[in-house]
Amino acid sequence: MTPECERVLDALGGPLPPELAAHAASCEDCRALTSGFEALEAVPPLPTPQATPGMEAARRKTLEELAITPVATPWWRELLMLLATYAMVLGVGLSALGRAGVVLNSASPVVVGGLAMLILALVGGGAYVALAPGRRRFRWAPVAVGAALVAILIVLGGSGTAPARSFLSGLMRCVMSEVVLSVLPLALALVLLCRSAFQPVRAFAAGLSSAGVSLFVLHLHCSDGTVDHLMVGHIVPWLLLAGVALFLRSRLRTRNYAP
Amino acid sequence: MARFCQGESTAFDALFQRYSRPVHGYLTRLTGSPSAAEDLVQLTFLSLVRARGRFQEGARVKPWLYAIATNAARDYQRRSRRPEELTEQGELPATVAAETAGPRDTGLARTVQRALELLPEGQRIPIVLHRFEGMSFAEIAESMGLTESAVKVRAHRGYARLRELLASLREEASE
Repeated sequence: MTPECERVLDALGGPLPPELAAHAASCEDCRALTSGFEALEAVPPLPTPQATPGMEAARRKTLEELAITPVATPWWRELLMLLATYAMVLGVGLSALGRAGVVLNSASPVVVGGLAMLILALVGGGAYVALAPGRRRFRWAPVAVGAALVAILIVLGGSGTAPARSFLSGLMRCVMSEVVLSVLPLALALVLLCRSAFQPVRAFAAGLSSAGVSLFVLHLHCSDGTVDHLMVGHIVPWLLLAGVALFLRSRLRTRNYAP
Repeated sequence: MARFCQGESTAFDALFQRYSRPVHGYLTRLTGSPSAAEDLVQLTFLSLVRARGRFQEGARVKPWLYAIATNAARDYQRRSRRPEELTEQGELPATVAAETAGPRDTGLARTVQRALELLPEGQRIPIVLHRFEGMSFAEIAESMGLTESAVKVRAHRGYARLRELLASLREEASE
């Protein structure tokens, strides 16, 4: 679309200035555009609805709703509530699993600390993407890149040491812990997600964020730093839980259609 | 909007008086049913009241309200129609039911309406908002959460595609 075509598009429905009219006559794209626009004149205008009982009922019901909650609740209160729940689950998870020590990850402290900060950033960022009203639609690419980056760095940052227990039993313990610790954050995130229009990327970000809480706990607590264990026991369940959040949100009833 | 956010019912009444009928017309175009549109007007304004804490300072009311209405219509179609009645992409068909047709409902009008239905939702919504609701591309962009240039590209492609579809529908009719 050339700048002239854009000006023709802007001027649709009104008279074109002579130089634009000349362009519109000679440009194949603009001829298609104007004839498509003009074709819609054949569609009959809809009759203007009178004040029907249904419309009056809509007005009355909305006024009742306004009377119940006269002061608007800012959206960030829900974000704070979700983050507070995350913090509570994180505290409970670390204290329940960390009786023998909170940090059992034997990688270097810099790596452990750096990755922990990265996961926390993902948790906070994911919660923001899930709940914040945006003037622009959130896109999949940044969310997918962020998730992939965290996953790769967690695997690469593993200590490589394996504790003296079978692979399967270690795997089951981590998967179970991740699922159990994700239930409450995920449930609350879903409830809050239903208070705005369904957007798949938001639901997936909410899943990454709420399951990220247990990923953080496992990152600090799990002493198995092998690539296989980190992949199958930490990353795959985390991504699956995000998928579950997306699936469940698509099935749940939307309580509010605001973007 | 600021007074409405503080709970003033007179401010809400002003919004309702100004926008309820245009939104009803828009929802009728999207769903094809005036009675469904009436229910969706209620859901749209209830959403407006419940979610006014999500309204961002400096934003315009009309695009936000139409964004809510579009989301409500999309959800209505997903829930009330059988899957085979949605488009292949699971999007809204832009049908206007026969009950809404006026005296100008000629064969040409039906062909154009059919061509409009065949457009993908991403092109149809900007065209409906632009051509029938009289919204500017900046307002449509705000409503759809896209950039203005992205909306213009969609509308441009949509109008051009509409001409192609009309040509092929006319050919079909003449055979």
